[in-house]
Amino acid sequence: MKSEPVLEIKELDVAYHTLTEMVVALKGVSLAVGKNEALGIIGESGCGKSTLFYAIMDYLPISSSRSGEILFKGEDLVAKTPKQMTAFRGSKIAMVYQNPYSSLNPSLTIGFQLEEVSIFHHGMSRSEARMAAVETLSDLHLGDAAGIVRRYPHQISGGMQQRICIAMALLCKPDLMILDEPTTALDVTTEAVILDIIGELKDKYNMSLIYISHDIGVVNKVSDRIAVMYRGEVVEFGNQNTIYKNPQHPYTRALINCMPRAGVLKENSRLNTIPGYVSRRSAAETGCPFVARCEKRNATCEEKYGMVERQPDHFSACDRAYATDIPDKVLAKEKGAIPEGSEPEHKTILKIDNLYKYYGPHGKRIRALDGVDLTLDQNSVLGVVGESGCGKSTMGHTVSGLMRPTRGKIIFDGTDISVSWRKRSPEVLRDIQLIFQNPGRSLNPSFTIENIIGRPMLKLLGIKSKQERRKLIVDILKKVDLGEEYLYRRPKQLSGGEMQRAAVARAFSIAPNLLVCDEPTSALDASVQASVLNLLVDLQKDSGAAYIFISHDLNVINYLSDYIMVMYLGRICEYGTKTEVAGSPRHPYTEALLSAVPDVDPSLKKGEIRLQGAPPNPTKKIKGCPFTGRCHRKVGSVCDTTPPPRVNFSDTHFAYCHISPEILNSEISVKGIEDPADEKVI
Amino acid sequence: MNTYLLQLKRSPRAIAGIAILLIWIIAAIAGPSLLPYTYTGMDMDNQMVAPGEAGHLLGTDALGRDVFSRIIYGSRSILTIALLTSLLSSIAGIIIGFTAGYFGGIVDTIFLRIMDILMAIPPLVLAMVVLGILGNSTIVGLTIIVSIAFTPATARVARGALLTCKSNEYVDAARIRGESHLYIMFVEILPNTIGPVIVEITARFAYSIMMIASLGFLGVGLQPPTPDWGMMVIENKSLIRAAPWTVLYPSLAIASLVIAISLFSDFVSKVMINEE
Repeated sequence: MKSEPVLEIKELDVAYHTLTEMVVALKGVSLAVGKNEALGIIGESGCGKSTLFYAIMDYLPISSSRSGEILFKGEDLVAKTPKQMTAFRGSKIAMVYQNPYSSLNPSLTIGFQLEEVSIFHHGMSRSEARMAAVETLSDLHLGDAAGIVRRYPHQISGGMQQRICIAMALLCKPDLMILDEPTTALDVTTEAVILDIIGELKDKYNMSLIYISHDIGVVNKVSDRIAVMYRGEVVEFGNQNTIYKNPQHPYTRALINCMPRAGVLKENSRLNTIPGYVSRRSAAETGCPFVARCEKRNATCEEKYGMVERQPDHFSACDRAYATDIPDKVLAKEKGAIPEGSEPEHKTILKIDNLYKYYGPHGKRIRALDGVDLTLDQNSVLGVVGESGCGKSTMGHTVSGLMRPTRGKIIFDGTDISVSWRKRSPEVLRDIQLIFQNPGRSLNPSFTIENIIGRPMLKLLGIKSKQERRKLIVDILKKVDLGEEYLYRRPKQLSGGEMQRAAVARAFSIAPNLLVCDEPTSALDASVQASVLNLLVDLQKDSGAAYIFISHDLNVINYLSDYIMVMYLGRICEYGTKTEVAGSPRHPYTEALLSAVPDVDPSLKKGEIRLQGAPPNPTKKIKGCPFTGRCHRKVGSVCDTTPPPRVNFSDTHFAYCHISPEILNSEISVKGIEDPADEKVI
Repeated sequence: MNTYLLQLKRSPRAIAGIAILLIWIIAAIAGPSLLPYTYTGMDMDNQMVAPGEAGHLLGTDALGRDVFSRIIYGSRSILTIALLTSLLSSIAGIIIGFTAGYFGGIVDTIFLRIMDILMAIPPLVLAMVVLGILGNSTIVGLTIIVSIAFTPATARVARGALLTCKSNEYVDAARIRGESHLYIMFVEILPNTIGPVIVEITARFAYSIMMIASLGFLGVGLQPPTPDWGMMVIENKSLIRAAPWTVLYPSLAIASLVIAISLFSDFVSKVMINEE
């Protein structure tokens, strides 16, 4: 481990100068990456992860200043002129960005863009470059490499595009590759494949890696060592296992406890939250960056603050994560969990019968929903999970009335509501509320929070008096942990988490019976997500409303739901209670999804099922099982020709699969998410 | 508000534009009551005197009318008509563009085709033909015609602004709350398109000035004796050698006002982009 580091950063400071002030983006960052070592960097947004990457590459804007040392194989990059830097960029240090679609030129073929790299950096001829490109693509397990090079970026899937970007970085034969959230925009199954490839290539090419992500689970899969950043500082740095098992810095510990993860369920624990938000740092500020939000601060912690090797190869700026002089809030909160035995009443509130939704003209129809049946009881939470394009959002939007189903019935509380919003009665409009993914887009930026929450009250509850409305708004704001002063604020003055809480307040202000949540936390940071999830759990408990909770994140679904429905290409794959689906998955697709979910705990190792390819074209009519092309347990030609039968495992648990029920019951190839009895708090 | 001032401080061009514009506005409001001459008053002893002579700051024309006074009086009508046309065409444009963009489909197609047909005729030609047929041009008539000529362009801008906002989820949220189309268009969406709309109004203001001056020059603008900058240029074109000031100063007046508004409008659009 103590080999000569490839990249060594010493006391790096970066500041941005804005119109009115100077903002500190990085402060005293010191890190080292050894040869063939992978370093993961985690932190919430605004913690300087990307700034660090730009500082290494000298991609900072003109309005910034940089000081310190960045030693790449002994040479200081900070001292290099922009012209000298070109010798390093790409050829010695390569990078992969978050959004593959915008990093590829849409008007050039993939082959041309890959060849350019070798021609520019290694002076190859075009035919040599083409050979190198095809060779690298096959390293990335891209089947038809010779065919792919002739295509344009828009003709391949997002996962393939990202692999092309990685291939581009590899063609430079770099010593160090920096990946900035390369899989954040991708589905979990694709993410798992790409993470595997990255690990494999690191060893094959003997590269060093820096992997930047907000997700500990993802970082765990590829990195040996992890650095935790907070407000521009590295607060903890060490081996992935020791970071998880024995975090020293209170921020690291708090962050891990924020994340919904294996063994953490709404029945047994609340998620930890971190009060406040990541604020900008001014130049005058010194000492611990986390002090304002830290639960473990005391009078002595300021002076003791500083990076120290607490254990062998485990550095931390603070060791108060488990300080005993201040009681643990994390553990205390545990008791507030939902009491056992609060069985949901078995009163059906929503019944969906053979629902179809097609988009687009004849011939090019997209089958977004292809025969979905569903019943939902009052006071229960249904989690809907699947890859993008599986129809989960379409289902939510059809239920909430944003669109009219092509065929099929939606019965809500006895009335048929398979019509669009314009034909629904005000009572139905009031009873079904929708929470959107992006609060910045779902709250009108021109209105104050009072207007935003008050409008549905006026419109759907008919509360005419402004004073009366204001009283109710203040009450509901209190419930979502926002004070009275928020009444007059506009969405832009709120942080992402506050905005989403205001959106939740709007939905709950008119006491709905069914709440459709369409990925309400996927745009939020871990600590903010935790507070919104806690809030949703509490409000559900208080109001007895039913939820349809749509998410791509199985950990979140597993935390919040009573029932889980797994969808693929507009159809249901598997349905059952949380313990049934997440604990012992039966459908091959559920298995694949579960095994792809990145684990927060690095010691958990689930089955290794990797889905190749992408879901089939939704405009084609599928005769057999939609999953057949990617299934790792395909039975035979019957899968291609006949729709799979429904297999019941219990009263509540069923799946659609050709594999015989006996085999599905006995051969469980993937270990589900851990038993809920096993409580886990770090 | 503070950031607007900060941005203004950093932009000397915007300051210059706003200063010139303010001078014209003050001149239009207060000028005529301070002037020693009226716009029709003829100084028969001093015909075609050069600027500065015989108490005429910018000289007189062939009839002995004070050029300076006529320019100041002229600024009233041109500013009034330009302001009204830019507002009227923007309002009409918003109504048409919003209706087309919001409902989409066949409504959109029909509205857009009608606008395309109107756009195919240059606004100047359209206004000229209509004014020529109608004969006498009053401030009201001129305002309405120029507004109609400008509406297709503003409707397109408004439609584009609506389309970018329409995909936002607050529109969906309003829909499933059972709001009416009018409420969604004008209460939910309109305030969020105000940026491009204001930019369009200011840009339209500059176009209107040029259009009105051009119509005056072509003889279909305001009729004599009302002083009109464009008309002043054409009236005195035969004097361009003998008394160049009679043509030069009205032309400079038009140019300075157009440039001032353009500088101001550039600044507004920059501020609006920063706002995003």
